[in-house]
Amino acid sequence: MHSRRGVVLGALLLLVTLLLGACQSDDGGGEAEDTPSKGDVTVGVSGSFAENQIVAEMYAQVLENAGYNVDRQLNLQRREISQPALESGEIDLKPEYLGTLLAYLDPNASPSSDAEGNVEPLKALLDPKGLTLLDYSPANDTNAFVVTKETADTHNLTKMSDLAPVASQLSMAGPPECEARPFCIPGLRDTYGITFGTVEKIGACDSATANALDAGKVDVALLCSTQSIIASKGWVVLEDDRKLQKADNIAPVIRNDVLNDEIEELLNGVSAKITTENITALNAKVELEQDDPGAVAREFLQEQELI
Amino acid sequence: MALVNPFAEAFRFLSDPASWRGSGGIAVRLTEHAQISVIATLLAAAIAVPVGMYIGHKRRFEFLVVSVANLGRALPSFGILAFVFPFTLRYLPGIGYWPTLIALFLLAIPPILTNVYVGIKGVDPDTVEAARGMGLAERQILFRLETPLAAPLMVAGLRTAAVQVVATATLGAVVAWGGLGRFIIDGFAQRNNGLPLGGAILVAGKAIVTELAFGAVNRWVNPVRTS
Repeated sequence: MHSRRGVVLGALLLLVTLLLGACQSDDGGGEAEDTPSKGDVTVGVSGSFAENQIVAEMYAQVLENAGYNVDRQLNLQRREISQPALESGEIDLKPEYLGTLLAYLDPNASPSSDAEGNVEPLKALLDPKGLTLLDYSPANDTNAFVVTKETADTHNLTKMSDLAPVASQLSMAGPPECEARPFCIPGLRDTYGITFGTVEKIGACDSATANALDAGKVDVALLCSTQSIIASKGWVVLEDDRKLQKADNIAPVIRNDVLNDEIEELLNGVSAKITTENITALNAKVELEQDDPGAVAREFLQEQELI
Repeated sequence: MALVNPFAEAFRFLSDPASWRGSGGIAVRLTEHAQISVIATLLAAAIAVPVGMYIGHKRRFEFLVVSVANLGRALPSFGILAFVFPFTLRYLPGIGYWPTLIALFLLAIPPILTNVYVGIKGVDPDTVEAARGMGLAERQILFRLETPLAAPLMVAGLRTAAVQVVATATLGAVVAWGGLGRFIIDGFAQRNNGLPLGGAILVAGKAIVTELAFGAVNRWVNPVRTS
C-alpha cells in the first residue's frame, strides 16, 4: 500500500516537473507577440557548450526580433544527437563548425585548414539532406593542444612538433572519440609522430578536461582555441605548425523548408560580426563569470546593432 | 552513415577473442567494474548496516534515517559525480576512480540502511520482550534474535544496492575511469553501434549475476526454509 502511494506521488512529481519544463520553454518564444509570427523556427546547438549556446542565442534573438516564433533546444549534448535532430526536423537551425561537421558527415573526408576549402564539400553533403550552409564567420574555434606554462618551460614547447620527442613521457586528456578521429590520436601519430604515454578520455573543450590540466592530472589537454580559461590561466596553446587541425569557422546550418531570403540575410549579418577574439571574450563571460548565454548574446547583438 | 545492425555488431564485438584481451579489453573492464562495485557496496554496508541495526533496535532517530534514505534516493548519481569531480581531482589521486566510488557509495547507502532498519524494527515486539524476560542482554537480543530474523530483509537491501551499483558504475567512463561504461561512452562517441550495445549487454549480464548471487545468499540466511 505504502509503495503504491510512493509510485503515485512519484508520477505526480514527474508530471509537475514536465509541466514546469513546458512552461519554461514557452517563455522563451513569447517576446515577439505584438507582431503576428512569420513562422516557427526551432534553434538547436551542435553541442551544449557555452560558445555554441551563445551563437545559437544570437540566431534565435535576431529571428525573434524580426518577428519569428523561436523555440530553443540548447541542451543537445553533442553532434551525434544534434545532427540527426536537424535532419529529422526536430530542430531547424544550429550553429556548426565547418571542419568538424565535414569530418562528421564524411568520416573519409580530410577537412582543410583553410575555411573556404571546406565549404564546397560541405554543401555537397548537406544539399541531399535538405540543409543549407550559410556564410561562415571569421571566428575559428579549432582544436588546440594546450599545456601549462610550467610544462611548456620544462620541455621547451611552443609548437606541436616540439611534442614528438617528449610525448611518450606525457599524458593527454581528450574526448572519448580521440582514438578514432584524424585530428586526435591517428593524426598526431601520422603528422607529427606524437604518441602520448597515456590518454585520458574525458572530453574536449569542456571544463572537466580543463580542470584535469589545472589539477596537474594530465600534461596536455585538448581544448578549443576560443576557450576562455586558456588565457585566464596563462596556458600555452601549441602552434599547429604542420596544419593538422581543420578550419572550424562557425556557420549556421539550416533546413531548407524554413529558410527564406530574410532569414538568410539576418543570419549572415550575425556571422559577419563574430570573430575569434570577440567570441572568446563572450565565452569568458559565460564560462568564468557565469553570465547567462542569452543575456551575453543580447548584449553583443545590441552593440553590433543587429537587434 | 550506413545502418549496420547493432545486434550483429555487438555480437561480433563480444565473440571476438581480441576484444577480450589487452589493457582496454573486456576482461580488464569486467574486473575493474566488479572491483569498484564490490568496494562501493562493502563500504556502504560498513556504514549503513551498523547504523540501521542501532536505529532499528533502539527505535531512535528514525526520522533521520527515513529522511536520509529518501533524500539519498532522490540524488542522481550523475549529479554527485559531477559535483565531487573538481574536488577529487584536486585532493585525491587519479582522475575518475574516486568520484565514481563516492557516487556509487552514496547510491548504495539508502537501500541498505532502510532495509536493515525496517528488518530489525519489524521483529515481533512480543518475541523481543520474551527474550528480555528470559534474561538476554540487549546486545544478545540484537545479534542473536533480531539480526537473524531480519537477515532476509537485510540481504534484500544489499542485493538492491549491489544491482544498482553494478548498473550505475558505467558512469565512471564519463570521467575518464574504466569499467564497462568505457565501451558505451567510447562506442557512442566513435559512432560505433555495436560497442555501446555490447557494453550494455555485459553490464546487464553482470547485474543479473549479482542478483542471482544474492538470491543464493538470501536462501542461505532465510530462517524459514521455504524450499
